[in-house]
Amino acid sequence: MHPLLSNRKRLGAYLLGWVPCWALQALQLLVMHWPLHFALVLATLSSALGAALFFTSGYLCSALPLRQGRQPWVIGSAIGLAAVLMGALWAWLVLRFVVLASYWKPLGDLVRWAPTNSGMFMGLVGTGALFYLVIVALNYVLISQDQRQEAERTEQNLRVMAREAELKALRAQLNPHFLFNSLNSISALTTLDPKRAREMCVLLSDFLRKSLRLGERPTVKLAEELEMVRAYLSIEQIRFGSRLSVEWDIAPGAEDAVLPTLLLQPLVENAIKHGIAALAEGGTIRIAAARKGAFLEVRVENPTDPDAEHPVGLGMGLRQVKSRLQGRYGSEIFFDAAQKDGRHCVLLAFPTEVNP
Amino acid sequence: MTERTYTALIVDDEELARAIVKEHLATHPEITVLAECANGFDAVKVATDLKPDLVFLDIQMPKLDGFEVLELLDPQPTVIFITAYDQHALRAFEVHAVDYLMKPFGLDRFEEALVRAKARLDQGHPAGPQPSELSATAKSEWPLDRLVVRDGAKVTLIPMTKLDYIQAQDDYVLLKTPEKGHLKQQTLASLEARLDPKRFLRIHRSYIIQLDRLARLEQTPSESWVAVLNDGTKLPVSRSGYARLKETLGEG
Repeated sequence: MHPLLSNRKRLGAYLLGWVPCWALQALQLLVMHWPLHFALVLATLSSALGAALFFTSGYLCSALPLRQGRQPWVIGSAIGLAAVLMGALWAWLVLRFVVLASYWKPLGDLVRWAPTNSGMFMGLVGTGALFYLVIVALNYVLISQDQRQEAERTEQNLRVMAREAELKALRAQLNPHFLFNSLNSISALTTLDPKRAREMCVLLSDFLRKSLRLGERPTVKLAEELEMVRAYLSIEQIRFGSRLSVEWDIAPGAEDAVLPTLLLQPLVENAIKHGIAALAEGGTIRIAAARKGAFLEVRVENPTDPDAEHPVGLGMGLRQVKSRLQGRYGSEIFFDAAQKDGRHCVLLAFPTEVNP
Repeated sequence: MTERTYTALIVDDEELARAIVKEHLATHPEITVLAECANGFDAVKVATDLKPDLVFLDIQMPKLDGFEVLELLDPQPTVIFITAYDQHALRAFEVHAVDYLMKPFGLDRFEEALVRAKARLDQGHPAGPQPSELSATAKSEWPLDRLVVRDGAKVTLIPMTKLDYIQAQDDYVLLKTPEKGHLKQQTLASLEARLDPKRFLRIHRSYIIQLDRLARLEQTPSESWVAVLNDGTKLPVSRSGYARLKETLGEG
């Protein structure tokens, strides 16, 4: 890709850059006592030709990128040769045009001022080569700028992809201890109560199927997420018996709201871990959801052990939920996890989306 | 020849998990299940009263975890840990558990554990190391976030944030909280090894303080240093303790 053609501004700046060159050339000729119209004609001729001819250096530069490991003398000599050749071509063309222009009466004397002799020619070749090299340098600067931007873009893309992968892994992640403990309950029930053992097998399969299926999608309806949470809680209910009771408070209309997949599941797992498994007498987990304007508000509450030392800050699970919400909705979220009256309450609110 | 009989205790917070152990033990008339416990506190109380030979012990439980229960028992019973977590296995053997069963386990595996437990009990020295040694070796959980103390059948949990200082008293340590002092059978050195060095510092052969309780240092007429805590308590600071204090506080 030609570095000057990668955007319109660069091409404009390149062409504008020739205006001072043109002006300088004209000025220089005037200082050398050229008549004004001759100076303007020659400056215009040479600038226009130069702008067009030397523009091609961009192709050479992008064909010979400056990379580590390339022999610099190969590139150097190629560019040097190109500069001399293009300078010569430019000088020849300028002088040809001078001859052509002088056929027109008012410019008849131009050839006298710019004679087609070897001195004039060599001078022009030198100037042209110099211009060419300056433009080559400009091209390389632009190329390196492009490369840096490209690298930044790639890096950013990689970061986004890594984040997505992380979230995907998170969604697919299944708490193995939950699985082992459930299997242990089934193992106990096979002799104690075969019917319940079978029921639990079905519940467990149901939960696993749902979490696998939901894990493939970035967002779900609250109704679907709650279905899975219910399956999970009925399994835990068998395991913990009377220690676990659950209260639901899902406002009408909230179930159609769309939210990131498996957002509630870790909250409920946390509630079980800290609120039920850690308490001898267990307690009640309360799950509430409601639409508040354009937001969906979700609350998960569990009892806590008054004797336990409560860690400051968020645990791993809650941190992940928060960063998922932040990643998706930016600063438009509300997230609060607090200890109050012997209960732990996680409250979150985020913009509801339209159906996926 | 009459076969020897054994007494056992089943400790697990899940009823179904206890049921499996009971069911497997039903074919072993030589083992009498004395009781079942659903949490750590009960386990310590019942085990202290009934002194079972063998304890089937879950690790993740309300109130006290399995390791804390074991730490509080004296004499030490023979223990078979039963848990869904594999990450505690190393620590389980550090505290000389006979076996470590992973939920769910099969009958064969359970029988194998029983054979081992009986072999250890028949050797006549069922008890592992003393509790004080136990805590010294069980370093897997570090730093400690709470200490457990037993006074008779009463178990107290002391979160580390409540500790003002710890004082060595022969084979015991005195754990001083704003309310009272608790005695625990353990050496100061073994306890020190499990404390968070950012929060606790040994200022003297016999004293470890919680750093944020330190109000100031005072010099006595005899040129030695004394640590004054927020509540006015004065504790001696040894020469090396002073050097450690200066280093730690200098950093912060």
